[in-house]
Amino acid sequence: MIDMIEREDPVISEEEAAQYDRQIRLWGLDAQKRLRGSRVLLAGLGGLGAEVAKNLILAGVKGLTLLDHEQVSEESCRAQFLVPVTAQGQNRAQASLERAQNLNPMVEVHADTDRIEDKPDDFFLQFDAVCLTGCSRDLMVRVDQLCSQRNIRVFCGDVYGYYGYMFCNLGQEHNYVEEKPKVVKPTGDSNDGPEAKKARVDPNETTMVKKTASFCTLKEALEVDWTTEKAKASLKRTPVDYFLLHVMLKFRTDKGRDPDPQSFAADSQLLRQIRDDVLESLAVSSDLLNDDFISYCFSEMSPVCAVMGGVLGQEVVKALSQRDAPHRNYFFFDGRKGNGMVDYFGPN
Amino acid sequence: MVQLVGSLRKELADSLSTCKVLVVGAGGIGCELLKNLVLTGFKNIEVIDLDTIDVSNLNRQFLFQKKHVGKSKAQVAKESALQFCPSANITAYHDSIMNPDYNVEFFRKFMLVMNALDNRAARNHVNRMCLAADIPLIESGTAGYLGQVTVIKKGMTECYECQPKPTQKTFPGCTIRNTPSEPIHCIVWAKYLFNQLFGEEDADQEVSPDTADPEAAWNPEETAARATASEKDGDIKRISTKEWARSTGYDPCQTLQQDDIMYLLTMDKLWKKRKAPTPLDWQQLENSMCPQEETPVSGLKDQQVLGVWGYCQLFQHSVETLRSQLQEKGEGAELAWDKDDPPAMDFVTAAANLRMHIFSMNMKSRFDVKSMAGNIIPAIATTNAVIAGLIVLEGLKILSGELESCRTLQASCFLSCKHLSPLRLHI
Repeated sequence: MIDMIEREDPVISEEEAAQYDRQIRLWGLDAQKRLRGSRVLLAGLGGLGAEVAKNLILAGVKGLTLLDHEQVSEESCRAQFLVPVTAQGQNRAQASLERAQNLNPMVEVHADTDRIEDKPDDFFLQFDAVCLTGCSRDLMVRVDQLCSQRNIRVFCGDVYGYYGYMFCNLGQEHNYVEEKPKVVKPTGDSNDGPEAKKARVDPNETTMVKKTASFCTLKEALEVDWTTEKAKASLKRTPVDYFLLHVMLKFRTDKGRDPDPQSFAADSQLLRQIRDDVLESLAVSSDLLNDDFISYCFSEMSPVCAVMGGVLGQEVVKALSQRDAPHRNYFFFDGRKGNGMVDYFGPN
Repeated sequence: MVQLVGSLRKELADSLSTCKVLVVGAGGIGCELLKNLVLTGFKNIEVIDLDTIDVSNLNRQFLFQKKHVGKSKAQVAKESALQFCPSANITAYHDSIMNPDYNVEFFRKFMLVMNALDNRAARNHVNRMCLAADIPLIESGTAGYLGQVTVIKKGMTECYECQPKPTQKTFPGCTIRNTPSEPIHCIVWAKYLFNQLFGEEDADQEVSPDTADPEAAWNPEETAARATASEKDGDIKRISTKEWARSTGYDPCQTLQQDDIMYLLTMDKLWKKRKAPTPLDWQQLENSMCPQEETPVSGLKDQQVLGVWGYCQLFQHSVETLRSQLQEKGEGAELAWDKDDPPAMDFVTAAANLRMHIFSMNMKSRFDVKSMAGNIIPAIATTNAVIAGLIVLEGLKILSGELESCRTLQASCFLSCKHLSPLRLHI
């Protein structure tokens, strides 16, 4: 990543300086340059995908590829803001392209209409980060496996009604910096003003502290063994959302789609059944996740997409710019309660 | 039997399509909020904003494009939202919410009011209107990675003004005029100087040494005398800085950077525990200056810190430009300082830096001076996106009659555990 900055044009143009002014003042010029050198793959242009696309394009990445084989349905027109209402029947990535590009002409936005399952391994290698929405569990595990071996950052996220989650794998050694206020020690000839004779923390002067974080694979995160004593003990502190995620992923695998409001009765029944099966197979109590969630996990709710898209977008920005502590490794959002939380699942 | 329309219960979806809501502000939070409301199924939305679009808005106010710069935010936001939801009924007002036309009757039309503002005066005003009209208000704000959402309902929650809010930081006159110790003091001084020379004169914005500074006194009698004298404000010799400036033909350098400093030095008690200022000798500087090599700029031009001579030249140049601007405007004209007006910004950058140099402080780039002088709050799309999402979720609770479960939500954990020290937080 660091090499990339030297290869790229180090000069920020007048146009970029003017447009990115308010964010350069927040995360600094170096971070903006790293973003400017990054290529990102975004799979799935549903409600969440559109939000992530917007946030990454506005942030000023070098390129964003929108990958989606699905067609625009009547519901997609209401679900996201990139697809024109006249685009029914068109490919979703293709239909989103124009509005996405107009968000920021300085970013190279591409549309790819292939099925992600059909993409060969080396397709993914051209990206610095891969963000998967609306994908099956098996696909995500496969892509996570091959990307993390090549230092490509992997993000997964979905919105199910009022609930949302994101996962990330930034590799075994993700290096980043954190900005901390500088403690000024008094010296004889300090140039920081006449009162510098006493030591103080000047919030206007900061220093960059280097840090490292390590991440496990998606497979490891999903395949936590709940039968061990340690795991059982931690169940009390474990967000139920993790198990909800398993249920929703299983539904998607079994039915090839997410719960549909048009088949509310049948899908509710199925969700109940899958919940029972999943909890049993994970060897955890069936009381862990009651029926309550069932009528609140249909479709992608716009404000929840906005929250999840904001969090996921910012995690991608943080990872690419190597600045600020990443969420390690899950973020769950419960839109009914308005609660968000970060938690770690996987081997220690 | 539960019936769903998308993610929502049918009863909720139906009430969304009939109720009327007001969004106050069409900027960072406003754009995101309008999008969320429309996609969630709200059909009748009114949005108001007095501002026009600036290029620095485009990194986050995504309903606007470059071609819209200069146009009304409320108007363009409405047009962009209609693009992806033509059936929505949106009314846009390019106006200030504090205009008396928007009276209690106006507010009573709405089931819900959502603030997307950036200043306290407007927030106070809307707070009172909503209390008077007894309409629920969702208050919110963002700065950098931080954000907050609060529901305000008369009789149920605190209102916006119930808790005292921190006032904007001000500095004592003697700090600005006699003993600056931080760059911000010099910047405030430079802004005062701008007004004294070119703008609206303000007795509270004097730039000359303050002889009535109580700290300068050596004995108790003197302190008392200075304290009472400070009522009159100890100006030296000059009746009005503007008059004097005109009489000297706007050549303030000698006076401000030499004579005044030398005067300050005579108030020797001030410098017993502080490093004394060093007057600037322009002639000497000019003579000793060697031509500067062009250093390649790898960062932003504005982030470079010039040398003392560079700021001397910038100061002279900007004074010249501002003087002609004033002359062009005619008799009795005044200039208003604006961070986005290049010569005005150059002037403050130069004047503040020269003062920093005189008072032994490290000089600052134009980029940094602009942040402080212009009270710029850094802003990104994602924080606004999260907050706007939370606003709609609280709104849905209100419309479902679930007011008790509403509470203040803070989004700092969502985005970053880092604590930013905000420059001027108006939340």
